[in-house]
Formats: sequence, C-alpha cells, structure tokens
Amino acid sequence: MNRARKLVASISTLSTRRRTYSPSSSTFRTISIINSQTHHSSRRESFQPSSSAKPLCLRFSGREFSSGSSDTTSSSACWNCGSSSEKDAFLFCDSCRSIQPIDDSVDYFQIFDLEKKYELDAGSLEGKYKDWQKKLHPDLVHNKSQKERDYAADQSAKVTEAYRTLTKRLSRAMYIMKLNGKNVNEEETITDPTLLMEIMELRETISEANDSKELDQIRSQVQEKLKQWSDSFVEAFESQRFDEAVKCIQRMTYYERACEEIVKKL
Amino acid sequence: MYHPIVIDHFDNPRNVGTFNKNDPNVGTGVVGAPACGDLMKLQVKFDGSGKIVDARFKTFDSAIAASSLATEWVKGKSMDEVLTIKNLQIAKHLFLPPVLLHCSMLAEDAIKAAVKDYQKKQAEATGETFKA
Repeated sequence: MNRARKLVASISTLSTRRRTYSPSSSTFRTISIINSQTHHSSRRESFQPSSSAKPLCLRFSGREFSSGSSDTTSSSACWNCGSSSEKDAFLFCDSCRSIQPIDDSVDYFQIFDLEKKYELDAGSLEGKYKDWQKKLHPDLVHNKSQKERDYAADQSAKVTEAYRTLTKRLSRAMYIMKLNGKNVNEEETITDPTLLMEIMELRETISEANDSKELDQIRSQVQEKLKQWSDSFVEAFESQRFDEAVKCIQRMTYYERACEEIVKKL
Repeated sequence: MYHPIVIDHFDNPRNVGTFNKNDPNVGTGVVGAPACGDLMKLQVKFDGSGKIVDARFKTFDSAIAASSLATEWVKGKSMDEVLTIKNLQIAKHLFLPPVLLHCSMLAEDAIKAAVKDYQKKQAEATGETFKA
C-alpha cells in the first residue's frame, strides 16, 4: 500500500514540477489528475480556480505519503511567485519571502528541525521556539498582505501547538506514536488491577494529605515514576513493542493526572 | 449546562465508601479511563441468594455522578439483572453531556468487573476454576 502511494507521490511530484510555470488552466488539469489518484487532499482552497493571475498553489508534497522525512524534495510551489523550493522551507518562500500557508504534512519535529525521536534537548527546543516566535511576531508581518498575516497567524498557532506537544513527555510520547501510525486508544477502559489499585491508593493519599511538605514529597515520587516510565516507553518504542509502549503511556497519563491534582491542592 | 439530576449526584453522591474487599460476599471492580485519568472503584455486597443488598463506590474525577447512580441502581437486583445495565441508560438518566459520556461507560464496566470479581471468589470458594 505504501509503495503504491510513494509511486503516486513521485508521479505527482514530477507532473507538478513540469507544470509549475504554466498558465492556470493546465495547472488546474494537473490538479484534477492528482486529485483522482490520491485520497487525502488537505488543501481544498488550492483547487478553486482563482480569478487573479497568480498560479494556483499546488499543495501536494511528496512527504505526505512517504513515512520518512529524509525525502526532502518538496513539491509545493509558492502561491506568490510559483517557485518550488528544494528544501523544507515551509514558512517562507525562498525566492520571494512571502509567507506560506500551513502545510499539514510538516510534522512537529520538522518545525523545530529535530530528529524524529522521543529523546530531545529541552533547552534547544525552547530556543528554537523562541526563534520562531520572533519570526512570526505580528509586528514583523504588519506590512504584509492580509492573506499573509492570516497565514502567519496560522503558522504561529501551529508552532505553539507543536512546542506544547513536544515539551511534555506524555504528549510527546503520544505524538510520536501517532506519527508511526499507532494511535493510543483513549476510549478503552483499563482493567489492570495492579495498576488501578496503585493509582487508587496514590490518589487517596493525595486527597488525604494536607500539608504542602507531604504533597511535595508525593509529587517528587510521582515525578520519579514518570521519568521511570518515560524511559520504559523509549525502550519499548524503539524495540517496536508498541503494546508495551501504550501501557507506558497509560501509566504516564495517570501519573500526570495525579501531579495535576497535587498542584491543585498546593 | 448540567442537568439538576447530575448536579445532585455530584453534590450529594450516594453510597460513597468502601467494603472490606476480603469479605467473601463482596465483589470489587476497579476500572480506569486512560484518556482523562479517571478511576472508579465499585463494590457490591451480595446476600446468600445472589442478590445485591448494598453497594459502595469511590471515584476520582468526573465519574462521580455515574458511579453514584450505578450504586443506587444495583441495590436490590440480582447478578443477572445488573449485568444488563447499559451505559446509555445511565447517561440518559443523568442527561450526561457529551464530555461525560465516558463516565457512564466506566460505570457499566465497573459493575461488570465487580460482579466478575464476586463470581471468581465464589468459584474459588467452592474449588471450581472460574472461567471468564
């Protein structure tokens, strides 16, 4: 299945490249061909014939279908100047520096130029986030068109969402599972008695604890456990033991919840 | 807006507490919903003839109303009857908003878990092996 998709993607990449500079009508035709072959087209606005002279933005990126980001040939062309960029310049067009709309195929790790793995350097992430916020600051885009300002606002929201997801261990774990096609089933009821009993007792202790010293102590114990299970998650995930990884995530969810309760009480 | 009935169960939950889980007449069910970190413990006490005479629950977070209602409903019913209690009935009775629907699922699962626990104990007491 994946191979078929990669084939389609490379075909669309080729045809896109060839037709990037052609007038709107033939570009539109290209899109309808691609459209019939692929199921997922996230950018619907691209397919409305625009009355302006600007070429339609072709949003198909080969990355949408291939699993690895090592394939850096982006086939998205800039809506403004039509040039298509070789590297992952998803925010600004390299040629004309106009702000691009959100590309859903760009994942959070790519935004911060990080390797797609669970372990990361929090300091470096924070630094990169601050850099992004500077680039996308409203004041810096105020002299751009309304369209670009809207794009910048969307991009900014995405960057913030990405940062929030990647900073916390639990959300990072769930995200990386999702990227690998393993969605943590949140609806399922857990009946593991050992885990539940432990959490029950933990929550009871928290609700009975009344002084902040005791709560702090409990909190550091829970943080310990979080770290422990986070490490187990990494191990399970990297060895592709996804069921075990999911269990680690479930535990982490409970410990996070317990931490939240403690914070509320403090 | 929450319906008064669910607010009532929230503010005045019935049957909060614990039974001694080692009591042979007590079945204990503990279930969890990982998405929100919800946790529910429901216990039922049977009389000698397979009827539930009392129930207790302890829960953390949003499942209070559903558990409280569940403990009310199981009292006076037989094992077979309580196993027919469905989450949708609980949800409907409490007019649960969508965000709390998972609690009713949890309640249904907790009842089943408690009954199963009791059955397991009974089987062990008579020397049979319990088949889930």
